[in-house]
Amino acid sequence: MNWPVMRAVIAKDVIAVRRSKAVVIPMLAVPAILMIVLPLVIGLAARSSGHSDISRILGNVPGDIARPIRELPQKEQLVVLVNGYLLAPLFLIVPLMVSAVLAADAFAGEKERKTLESLLHLPIAARDLFYAKLLTAFIPAMVVSWVGFVCFCVVSNTVAWPVLHRIFVPTPLWLAMILWVAPAVATLGLAVMVRVSARARTSQEANQLGGAVILPLIFLAVGQSSGLLLVPLPIALAIGGVIWIVALVLVQGGAKRFTRDQLAASV
Amino acid sequence: MPPAIETHDLTRSFPSGLALDGLTIDVPPGEVLALLGPNGAGKTTTVRLLNGILTPDRGHARVLGLDPTTHGDDLRRRTGVLTEHAGLDERLTARENLTLTGRMRGLDRAWVERRTTDLLERFGMADRADLPVQGTSTGQRKRLALARSLLHDPEVLFLDEPTSGLDPAATRDVIDLIGSLATEHGRTIVLATHFLGEAGRLADRMAVLHRGRLHAFGRPADIAAELWEGLDAHLDVGTPVDAATADALRSATGVSMVVPSPSGAVVRVAERAVVPHLVQLLVERGLAVYGASAHAPTLEDVYFAVEARIAATEGRPATPPPLEVLSTSVPEGVAS
Repeated sequence: MNWPVMRAVIAKDVIAVRRSKAVVIPMLAVPAILMIVLPLVIGLAARSSGHSDISRILGNVPGDIARPIRELPQKEQLVVLVNGYLLAPLFLIVPLMVSAVLAADAFAGEKERKTLESLLHLPIAARDLFYAKLLTAFIPAMVVSWVGFVCFCVVSNTVAWPVLHRIFVPTPLWLAMILWVAPAVATLGLAVMVRVSARARTSQEANQLGGAVILPLIFLAVGQSSGLLLVPLPIALAIGGVIWIVALVLVQGGAKRFTRDQLAASV
Repeated sequence: MPPAIETHDLTRSFPSGLALDGLTIDVPPGEVLALLGPNGAGKTTTVRLLNGILTPDRGHARVLGLDPTTHGDDLRRRTGVLTEHAGLDERLTARENLTLTGRMRGLDRAWVERRTTDLLERFGMADRADLPVQGTSTGQRKRLALARSLLHDPEVLFLDEPTSGLDPAATRDVIDLIGSLATEHGRTIVLATHFLGEAGRLADRMAVLHRGRLHAFGRPADIAAELWEGLDAHLDVGTPVDAATADALRSATGVSMVVPSPSGAVVRVAERAVVPHLVQLLVERGLAVYGASAHAPTLEDVYFAVEARIAATEGRPATPPPLEVLSTSVPEGVAS
């Protein structure tokens, strides 16, 4: 792999994306709402109703979540339940969503802007181009997710401090999810979206086609992520490992099938 | 010296049909090849195959001694391409478009910065260097794209419609630049264009493509020699010649055809030496001769003659060429 050339491709795309309000605003606004505003509002609401009896709510959540929360003092229960468990899916949704938006633009956007052919005429190996486009979506997605996660932790701990008087997020399981599982899920979505983008004519078409794949992944992430917080750490890491293997197999397959000819023929 | 570009039976099809069918050509180093033909003729497909971004279904090509299919990246380091759409990222500045291209080409960053500044000045873009491309005129974009294609000082340049969308002054500048690249700097240039005027000024060789097939290839004069015998002489006597004078000209030695023109007549002569005799004939008939010149058919004449031949074989009306070409240059029995 030619890293300097790949870095140049990534730099070009990142500079261009940074200047595109149509991409930047949703890319930052949605994570900001999900990872800062939502935990702030819900956390404040949970804190103010901290003395209410949530046993009925706990009756509706899985026993593995309810049990450690029932052991907490009543005033801590709601805020820990909401910000410590129920918002967990956001950390899989955000990287998946951001990377999917950027990946949809990877090749389809270049076609739309009529810049793809010039790119193909450069001496960049097809595989380097594929990986560079993948990283162009992956790096900002993870930066947004991790910065968002830090913000989430600050907001959640600040909101809960008057009640808890201790830092309650991140736990080791949270860290495993954000640092290990979330990148794997983002890569899985990317592997699909970059291939879709290479075939689509516009990024809108890529988003529509990719949505059919990404949406089920989002639902799966939402359904399973809270559950990840209940399993022992080695099992969470192992689950992340399995997702990584599937994602990397898909990425490798995509890189092997990716050819200049395929793209040039669609320009 | 081996050809800079050679192809043999180069063929490529898409789901929509055959785009290029058995192209065999060769271009010596330092020459300009004009790829001519209507939309869908296969010009852009040829450029893409020669630069290795498409792979042929059949046949092969060598550019600078390299096979574009197997040594595409090595080749693309030595070629430059101006695509039909300038292909600039509108969100980047003019300078960024060039410097980032240089970096994507793997060139030294400091060298690219210096070269970019030089090119922006040379192409009259220095004052817009740090402004986004969005908002620049078509002409400025074309100049910028041309500057980008020259960034790494390529040995072979592929130019797809380099003057489309340019105003007359910018067109002249670009044509002059392309001409100097070939004549002074020895670059080999493939010029895919609809504009026969610019092709005529620049091209050493021409290739006429139609629906993916090569219908004529070579130096315009050589193709003309196959199409016509002799030269067209323009005789200016101020008014169209009368029938008697036309007959007298027709019966002169070395004359094969006479067509009255608004200012006199256009006469097909076997060689330039016939022209003084015709002038003498006109003077003897009491006519004032304001001018007489013989010129070989232009690239434009040749192109329309080839087009007419294609139309005749396909049984359709020929593309109407300019009036003068229609009246004087289409060989007998060719135009329908």
